[in-house]
Amino acid sequence: MDFKIRPARKEDCKDVSRMIMDLAVFENVADQVKISHEELERDGFCQNPLFECLIAEVPEEHKSKDGFTVVGYALYFYTYSTWKGRSVYLEDLYVMPEFRGNGIGKGLLSKVAEIGKEKQCVRLQLSVLDWNTVAREFYATRGALDLTETEGRHLLRFEQLNMDKLAKGASKERSFD
Amino acid sequence: MDFSIRAANVEDCKDIARMITELAEYEKVTDQVKITQRDLEQDGFSKNPFFHGIIAEVPEQHKSKEGDGKNTDSNRNKTTVASDKKWLYLCFLGKGIGKALMSKVAQVIGSGRGCHQLNFTVLDWNKSSVDFYLHQGCTDVTTDMGYHYMSCKGEAMEHLAQP
Repeated sequence: MDFKIRPARKEDCKDVSRMIMDLAVFENVADQVKISHEELERDGFCQNPLFECLIAEVPEEHKSKDGFTVVGYALYFYTYSTWKGRSVYLEDLYVMPEFRGNGIGKGLLSKVAEIGKEKQCVRLQLSVLDWNTVAREFYATRGALDLTETEGRHLLRFEQLNMDKLAKGASKERSFD
Repeated sequence: MDFSIRAANVEDCKDIARMITELAEYEKVTDQVKITQRDLEQDGFSKNPFFHGIIAEVPEQHKSKEGDGKNTDSNRNKTTVASDKKWLYLCFLGKGIGKALMSKVAQVIGSGRGCHQLNFTVLDWNKSSVDFYLHQGCTDVTTDMGYHYMSCKGEAMEHLAQP
């Protein structure tokens, strides 16, 4: 199947938002999605964007049964390792079910890795749910190591409420940049 | 103990590099540290920085025992004791410095930048760190939700980046 991978444009945010919701439904966490295309437009297309995004697109003649030509996305951002330096974190990788098995997922993943390398990133990291065996195998066969299994690395998170509580204890001294 | 929390500046990179190495020694992975002071300066203090840093500092009268050394570099005399990795010399533990650093990060990214969550990783055998973070109010989404943290590096990343 013919498809193209390209950087997302601001006008793609509605399609990206649609697919973010599809992915959240699959992961059984649809109620946790709090942002819409507006936040994506604001945060991804400002002067110092908080993320970058790639789109997979098919020609009109191959559009989805609901009429979409944007059929996959990869959303990523840059992080930093104090041991290894520049890194890229893949937050989401998604291909609509009716378009899977055509190399689109691999194409998106490879492009993120290529872009990361151009920016001198030395590693690509991501998280995957343990029950998502298809995704785990997809990444493992492409060389990703499971650091939770091999070295006991756990992902910790402060949600909004606890983050606010933590912030209340911060000193009121000089402002930060 | 008196201490102050402030944004890191480029001159702090020497101290930060020192503490990164010490943290790696504690985690028994010194051979894995590949970046230098210069990398930190370039990556943290350019037009589009890859990271931000927060420093905890004590006054001269509380400096660490290494601060008595012959090095007259003015950075050394500043006696920075922690970075955004919250590595604290043993003599500075239990003074609330780690909590103050975490609070500052939460404030900067929360009300400062409008962020809604703070994510990071910790090694499960590092019990004192795990307990510290859980006590501050975070959740372990690996244990609770089954998230596994994955990494693609070296040859695997090279291979992946081939079109």
